[in-house]
Amino acid sequence: MKTRFFPRRSSSRAGVLAVGAIIAIIAVSFSAAAQQRLSKHYPANQNVRIELRNISGTIVVEAWNKNEIRLSATIESKGTNVTPRQINESFVIDVMSDNRGRGDVGDINFKLQVPVNSSVDLETRRGDIRVADIRSGLVRAHVSSEGDIELTNVSALHVIAQNVIGNIFFDGEFSTGGTYEFKSNKGDITIRIPGDSAFRLVAASPARRIALNDFWNNNFKTQDGRKYVGDVGDGRSSVSVTNFSGQITFMRR
Amino acid sequence: MNCKTCQELIHDLVDGSISQRDEFTLNTHLKDCLDCESVRQDLASIVAFCRTQRGQYEAPPNEQALWLRIRNVIEAELPNTVFVNAESRPSFFARLMGRSWELSLPQLVASTVAIVLVVSLATVVGLRRVGGYGSPAASPQQNEASNISNINDRIWQRRQVIDYWNQRVELNKARWSPEMRATFDRNLKTIDDAIATSVDELSRNPHDEISEQMLNESLNDKLTLLKDFSDL
Repeated sequence: MKTRFFPRRSSSRAGVLAVGAIIAIIAVSFSAAAQQRLSKHYPANQNVRIELRNISGTIVVEAWNKNEIRLSATIESKGTNVTPRQINESFVIDVMSDNRGRGDVGDINFKLQVPVNSSVDLETRRGDIRVADIRSGLVRAHVSSEGDIELTNVSALHVIAQNVIGNIFFDGEFSTGGTYEFKSNKGDITIRIPGDSAFRLVAASPARRIALNDFWNNNFKTQDGRKYVGDVGDGRSSVSVTNFSGQITFMRR
Repeated sequence: MNCKTCQELIHDLVDGSISQRDEFTLNTHLKDCLDCESVRQDLASIVAFCRTQRGQYEAPPNEQALWLRIRNVIEAELPNTVFVNAESRPSFFARLMGRSWELSLPQLVASTVAIVLVVSLATVVGLRRVGGYGSPAASPQQNEASNISNINDRIWQRRQVIDYWNQRVELNKARWSPEMRATFDRNLKTIDDAIATSVDELSRNPHDEISEQMLNESLNDKLTLLKDFSDL
């Protein structure tokens, strides 16, 4: 008498699963082999200007207490050029120029660690941008189409964050005499600042979705809830927020 | 009687203030002198025309011949006159400077009316072009139509630039990945919806400041999107 450990049906199912697992492992390993990884260190001044022009992919910029830049990148397509350049006080990566005429080169995900006082100017056609812990003259994050923008613990004299579809989150401080511009077409804009912030605000949302919360006062002028103009405190900095169909929210930090 | 005395008396004759004796002497001279008779006829026709056409101007029959005959008579009276060959025409400037600018009453009235008409017409046209709006007394419907027309003009002007960048995008689109094409189309549609909403709002309320601001910003966004993607 022959003994069967598994019924015949279970055996065939296990075989299918095993083949599937092998195919998945091969696909992942091919994918990993196709991806390029880049990791480099560059010496820099503490107030270096970072310029990054990406086509597609995520950009993460974090501050650290070193006078050097660490660049890490994962490049999806083989043969894509990424050639960082140091010009005077600037550190420039221009994926568009480096790959001109090649069309869409796939995702490139960047992570940059930079000195705390670096000015940061970031652009991508699509993808998320995240900036953290920067204290400098400029933080600019521009997504040409869709992607979330997250600026955390940022204190800069000029801040510009703009996308078409996607959320914008600013968590930081408004400097005296600074200018702050946040603009989205379809996404929520959230601004989280200290309660004692002083600024002049122009906020517009045709969808009438503006919540000033703790920062609202009787001096604000409004046009049927679609636009608010007024001073918070002595209005030492200038803040402009425009959102076509999403929510604008101010929060106390 | 000589021709000079005769032509002085012709004025009195035409005016009807001549004495019987002078009239007899004058008529006797006129029968013998064709030149003076011609002057009399010309002067009589001018005065008669002015009397009948008072208040409205109509060119006298064969006006040029009339003035030519008058000028010939005057020149004939002048001493040491240099006769100009009728075949050789004087230059335009010489004719302009030599021309008599005295106008008859009907000519003066007609000129004044013409100047007033031209100036009025130019003023109305100028005000419309510069102001871009109708007269203050224009109805709200007219003003609204004018504002909508201005909005459409602005969109049309931007559309020229947008069309240019759109063509560049279309040329390169084939090289993009399907995901990139989908992203672009989705974002373009979002902006186009925003533009349509603003235009719709402005057609209902042409003076809505926020819709106007949103329209401008959306048009700028569209232009930026097209420019950014045209390089891909």
